[in-house]
This record gives sequence, C-alpha cells and structure tokens, in this order.
Amino acid sequence: MPVSILPPSAPLPPRRDAPADDDSDVSMSDDDLPTSQTKSIVTPGEHITSDPQWMRGHGTYVPAGHTAIISTVAGHMHKTNKLLSVQPLRARYQPEIGDLVVGRIVGVQTKKWSVDIAAPMLANLPLSSINLPGGILRRRTAVDELNIRTFFSEGDLLVAEVQSLHQDNTASLHTRSLKYGKLRNGLFTSLSGAGGGILSRRGGVVRSRRQVFTLNTAAGEIDVVLGVNGYIFISKHIRPATSVTDVGINRLEEAVSETLYSSQNDEIKPAVMREITRVSTLIKGLVACGMRVDEDMIVKVYEGAVELEAEERSMGGAGSVDRGIGAKGVVEAVLGRLEVEAGG
Amino acid sequence: MAPQQAALVNLSPAELSFLRASLAQTPPIRLDVTKGPRDFRSMRAEYDVLPGANGSARIALEDGTEALVGVKAEVEKTPQRPASGEQEDVEMHDEEVGEGAGKGQNSWVEMSVEVPGFREDDSLPVFLASMLKESLLASRELRDRLYINRRFHWKLYVDVLLLSPALSYPLALLSMTTHLALLTTLLPALKSEKDEDPLFDDDWDAAVALYPKAAGKSTDKPPVIILAMAVGPNIIFDPCKEELAVADAVLAIACTNSASSATGARIVSIRTIDPPSHLTPPGIPNSMNSATGGTVPTSSTDALTQRELLATSGVWTPPRGGMKRTLVSQVTKMVVESGGVAEEVISALAAIEVG
Repeated sequence: MPVSILPPSAPLPPRRDAPADDDSDVSMSDDDLPTSQTKSIVTPGEHITSDPQWMRGHGTYVPAGHTAIISTVAGHMHKTNKLLSVQPLRARYQPEIGDLVVGRIVGVQTKKWSVDIAAPMLANLPLSSINLPGGILRRRTAVDELNIRTFFSEGDLLVAEVQSLHQDNTASLHTRSLKYGKLRNGLFTSLSGAGGGILSRRGGVVRSRRQVFTLNTAAGEIDVVLGVNGYIFISKHIRPATSVTDVGINRLEEAVSETLYSSQNDEIKPAVMREITRVSTLIKGLVACGMRVDEDMIVKVYEGAVELEAEERSMGGAGSVDRGIGAKGVVEAVLGRLEVEAGG
Repeated sequence: MAPQQAALVNLSPAELSFLRASLAQTPPIRLDVTKGPRDFRSMRAEYDVLPGANGSARIALEDGTEALVGVKAEVEKTPQRPASGEQEDVEMHDEEVGEGAGKGQNSWVEMSVEVPGFREDDSLPVFLASMLKESLLASRELRDRLYINRRFHWKLYVDVLLLSPALSYPLALLSMTTHLALLTTLLPALKSEKDEDPLFDDDWDAAVALYPKAAGKSTDKPPVIILAMAVGPNIIFDPCKEELAVADAVLAIACTNSASSATGARIVSIRTIDPPSHLTPPGIPNSMNSATGGTVPTSSTDALTQRELLATSGVWTPPRGGMKRTLVSQVTKMVVESGGVAEEVISALAAIEVG
C-alpha cells in the first residue's frame, strides 16, 4: 500500500481533574489523595495535592508559603510510600560521568568543540582530550589549534565518554580510547525526534548494559553503538588490522588511527547497507512500540524480522503475513510472535 | 526555483555518502526499509476539526510533523468597474484579467502559511503559500465557483498552519491537508436570485460543497502537490528529511484528477525545489586529509583538480546541476498514469471523507 492514511488515534484519557458525572462538591476528595490507578497525565503547574502528608519528589515543587505540591513537568505521577514524583514523558538526557554517548559537532572554537549530545546544554570536547593521529602523546600546539577542523568539523558524528561535569551540568567529553572517535560507514538514528505526535517516547536506551556490540547478519557483521543519550549509530563492522597480536600498544594505536579522523566511507556492500538500514528501521519501530532498546531486544527483533521477511518471500506476494504498516507494524508482528513462543 | 530553507542539513559527509549510496542502489534502500520508492510515510488524518470554519482538516505524519488547515468563506462586494455598457463590461473584464470566459478572479482566494520558527514574511512561508495558491488557481473551476452575482462574490481565506517544526520540506503535507480541507468545505446555499443582495439558507444541512460531488461522474477535485526526488537513476516519492539531504533534484508536482477519464490525473503546475544537498560541504578524501596521512593541497585550484580526478565512491560530493529530461518525463509519467501516484494520493484522501 503506497499511501496509507489512518483515522486519528484514540481520544486521550480524561484529565485527572475532570469532574466526574456523579461527583458532587461535597465529596471532592481527590485533592487529598492523589489517585494511583490513573494513567492520566499531569501538566506543568498543575495542582497535585495540598495534603501535608505527602512529600515532594522529582518533577514537583512547593511554592513559597504554600503546602500544595505542584507539578513542574508533563508526565505520569508516581508514588513511593509518601513521596510524590512526576516522571516526565519526554526529557532531555542528563549527562553523568562515565556515560558512553554519541554526539554531533555543532561548533568549532579555538581549543574545543561544542557537541550536541541531546542534553539541555551543549557538551565540550577540548582539543586536549582527543587522540592525535598516530597516537602521538604531546602537548597541543598552536598548529593543532589551526588544524582543528581536520580532526572534527561541524556536523561530524563521534562516540565519546563523559569525562566530567561542570557546575551548570554541562559535560566535558573525551575520546582518549581506541573505542571512541569519529563515526563513519553507517547510519545515525535518534530515538527522540523533534516531534511528539505519534512516536511518543516511552522506550529508550537502557543504561548500564553493553552499549557497543556487533550483530551477526547474513550479509556480514554490523556494529551498533547505543549512546545513553538516545543517539544511535549503526555501521559496518571494521575488522582490526590483522597482525595486532604481535605489536605493542603504541603500534596498535598507530595501526588503527590511520583512518581515525577519516570522513571517507569504506566500500560497503549493498547487502550490508540494507541490513544497516533495517536495524535502524527496527530500532525506530521499537521506540514507536514503547519498548526499551538494548542488545537483547535488538538481536531478538532483528532475527525475528529476518525470519518474517523470509516467510513472506517464500509465501509469495505481500499481505501473506498479517502485520501493520511500516516499521511499527513489523516490530509489533515480531514481538507478537516472540510472546507466543515464550508462552507456548 | 523555490528556495529550500527548512533547517539546514547538519549531517556529516560520511553519513551523506552512506545515504546517497543506499538510495542509489537498485532497488533503492530507503531510510525506512519497509517502504518502496513510491511509498508515502503513513499518516493520520481527520477533517471538520475546527467548528468555526467552513472546512478544516488536520494531518499528522508518523515522524510527528502535523499540519492544520482552516478554510473560511466570507461574502465580499465585487468592486464595480466604471463601464459604459453591460456587454462591454464583460468583454473588458475578460481582456483585463485575462481569465478567459470565467467570472472569477484570482484575488478571491487568499492563502497564508504559518511555519513555526519563521516570520510570516520569511521566504519559506511566502513561497509555500504562493506555490499552494498557484496550484489551486491553476484550474478555473474554483474561482468561478466563488462567483455569487455581479455585485457579490465569496472570498476564500485558506489558513495553513504547520503545528510542528518543519522536519522535512512541508509542501506535500500542507498541500494534502489543504486538499482535504477544501474537499470538505461547505458554503451556505444561496436563496436570493440574480443580482439581489445575497440571502442564504440558514439550514446548514442544505449547504453546498465547494467541490460538489456528483455520483458516478468524476468531478474536479482540489489539486494536491506531490514531492518527488531523484538520486542517480532512482526516483523516490515523499522523501523524509535525511533523504532530501542527498537529493540530486526535487520536483513539486501539483496534480488533480483528470477531467476526461475516471483514472489517471493531470498536472496543473510543476516546480523544481532547490535541494538542501547543494549547500552541504563536500567530504574530504583520505588522500587530502592530513589527519589520515594524506597531504593537504597547496592551493584551492590544486584542491579542485584533485577532487575532479577523484573517482572513489566513499567521499561525499554535493550534486551539481539539475534534473535530466528523461528523469523529469519519467517522474511525470509515474505521477499521472492510470494507477499512478497522484491517483493513489487523491483516492486515499477521498477515502477518508467517505469512511
């Protein structure tokens, strides 16, 4: 179906403070006890409760001279014993030291780059915290400052680690490891788009899991980098140089960093390209279904999708396997099967 | 050539090179693998969303881009020309406005486009509005239908509002929303006769559609603009932002259903759109990058010659020039042929109203 137009999605659930039909003024009790059963959304500035027994948690505040708890974000309300917190529906990434992030250079200054890592503020990448080509260890000179764009220029993607946080919560990054550096040979995907319409963000990258892994596909190996900040890069797997075992640590660095700052893609086979794009589509589908994104999930869904496609092809013609439209449809079909397998 | 101003491309040369390489495959690998080159992004649509308007529609794309269109009609006095005789008046009118036998005028339709982040006199909203208006007025039927009598006419205000930031070039989305809004626009039924002051039926059920539907007969429909882009030999419809960033050329084709037959479509206007790919910086090949063991060319002419001699594929080079004639004819054929893209879009939009 080349053009698919759907009716609008189901109406929103009623507001928490919407007056119920049978509700009279006398029994206005919802002020005292925030209801827990509700999946409705509270909005910024919305009065949650004025009962003093509740403590305010994240996403809420108490105005000076008041006892009422007021929400500061739009999201779902959570209760932990007597602690009230509101979990935002969509939030920007809060950097923490040690996080693996994928970022994009948005600005070049004399001694540092400004990097977009989906945080409220741009992160810094100082010239002194990158690897120089060839793995040379030395002070950064004025020549390096003049050549700053040969390392990274505007728009370039990189994978880095959060090295430190400043007082205003801006992050400082570093790429001083062979695992980090410029990204190429692949496709970038962002989990939280600028719009909020149909793809609402419920899923996300899970922290403290393996974030860089290699996926085996029929066409070849694919590297997936899941940044904690929701930026994802999927690329062709590059084998490390063959004779790495017998060279020292400095030599190893030298061998790899020949292409460390290259912005030229290697030759990629069409089949590999297709698999890379398929993984990226599936990740978008996972988010659309509100699922978490981690290694297990991606591998499972990818294998399921490949199977699904093979079945469709063998049965001939589209529509033989019942599924919805687009990426979300594929992921839903695969998840449905996985559930059946797990249950039966 | 209309300018492409919606958010400059911010992709790295390596990404652009990858995207282009995958779209240039046969068959092209799109960013959403489940879609073929002719597939549109799935969307959600509804109409009659604004109670105060004569017609309205809202369409949301799956990436969150959303557009709202309201159509409002007002009765307006037609300025009388100082003419000597009545017969001459008609003739003079024809010659001056150059609209053939029609009594309608272009100024009776007013269109405004609002895009968040842009002032209303910025070039993007202005160009979008003029392209939408141009396609709307290309056929004479609409403005002739706004004629009430010699002294009065309907003035149609079409207000187009993009609710989200312009992620991809929003022309196609705005046009489809406008199409749906106009298709469902109702005007009160006229009770007065001839040149009397117009008097309308207050019964809203008796209202007549701006685009009347006759059973069994193919009536004219508002135009819809379809975006098509070319990458190498491939033609891709409804490109998303990233795909647009590597386009060789982009065409905006406004078409409406064909007057003669039930299938197929006809083109009412066609424009090229400056693709954002022309503004992207070229990638630096390894041989010219000092950070990868290459040597930086000494002069800019040297750099140019080296680039021209470069045959390697993995380096991003912004496309140059326009669209090949054969590609243009191929695109138009794919759009207008029986069972073509235009027919699919128009029938899909018509199906919303029926269902």
